[in-house]
Amino acid sequence: MSILQKIKNTVRSRSIHVAYVDVGSCNGCDIEVLACLAPRYDIEQYGIYVHNNPREADVLLVIGSMTPQWVDKLQDIWEKIPEPKVAIAVGNCPISGCVFNRWHSYIEPPVAKYIPIAAQVPGCPPRPTEILNAILALAPTLFNDYEEKKK
Amino acid sequence: MGLSITWYLREFLRMEWLRKFFFAKTAPLVSPPYFKDYPLTTGHECTACYSCMMICPAPGAIEVLRHQDHWKPMIHRGHCIRCGLCVEACPEDVLWSGRVLDQQQQQKTEFRSWYRLTVDDTLCMRCGNCAVSCPVNKREDPQLASTGTSANDEVIMKVEGGRLRVIHEEKCVGCKTCENNCPNKAIRVARMVEGIQEEAA
Repeated sequence: MSILQKIKNTVRSRSIHVAYVDVGSCNGCDIEVLACLAPRYDIEQYGIYVHNNPREADVLLVIGSMTPQWVDKLQDIWEKIPEPKVAIAVGNCPISGCVFNRWHSYIEPPVAKYIPIAAQVPGCPPRPTEILNAILALAPTLFNDYEEKKK
Repeated sequence: MGLSITWYLREFLRMEWLRKFFFAKTAPLVSPPYFKDYPLTTGHECTACYSCMMICPAPGAIEVLRHQDHWKPMIHRGHCIRCGLCVEACPEDVLWSGRVLDQQQQQKTEFRSWYRLTVDDTLCMRCGNCAVSCPVNKREDPQLASTGTSANDEVIMKVEGGRLRVIHEEKCVGCKTCENNCPNKAIRVARMVEGIQEEAA
């Protein structure tokens, strides 16, 4: 492994940029993501930065139960994220539709049908620690030696 | 000039400062005691009364399944919303999560449930299918007529004086056989749940 690769690994493990997209949720999970940013959980101390620009993101947090209007738009967002990238489904909604998944409701879960989901964080809503753990456990392992794996 | 550089170096090259700058972490994050995590089983015997499944507000979150020789509730992650209602509703304390059970014991609260039968008289055509098909009626009065009339007053419902009368609602076990056999969807079985608290002695 080259020194350059080692530097890239170190930098990537300490600088994870996150974009989140709400594809039709009740806002419960959004508030939990927001709580991650607040001083109590303080996501930035782990080197995770949240800003809603897919073009500079590494991790996409998908929140919500996938309304049909989002089907093409979510794929657009996913394509805009530069490699290496991962998507994490936050909350029950992107996994199963949760309480909205009833007869005649206008949703199309799971999100995994539309974009590749690397991890799912169940819970309605999941605790900020669970979201944090998911990002911290997943992102560095997936981004590690990205260039080597690509070959 | 020289003094300020020394000052800066002294200030920023302190081990304590460097450690705080590079390894700053908030206190280890633990779940608070009042947090209701996914329900776990206590090991008490499940009687398959399905109280947990019936009270669950999330679709597909809990299932009571047969495991070889015993029943066991299964919680599905990704569906469960961790509300703790199944823990509270279980009469046998099969499930536990957080301090729901302790609180329930301490405050002497429980859920009481019963079934309510409603008949829409404008839809009901007095065929008596509900009274005939009802398994409880069959036990109470084996001689129940095919038109739903009966001389017995112990039945749940019977056709009397040209209309359906519900007599003993409290005997209903909620099997919904009447609902399935009603051609007009005139009879409805609803499960009612009420939270009750024993008065402190």
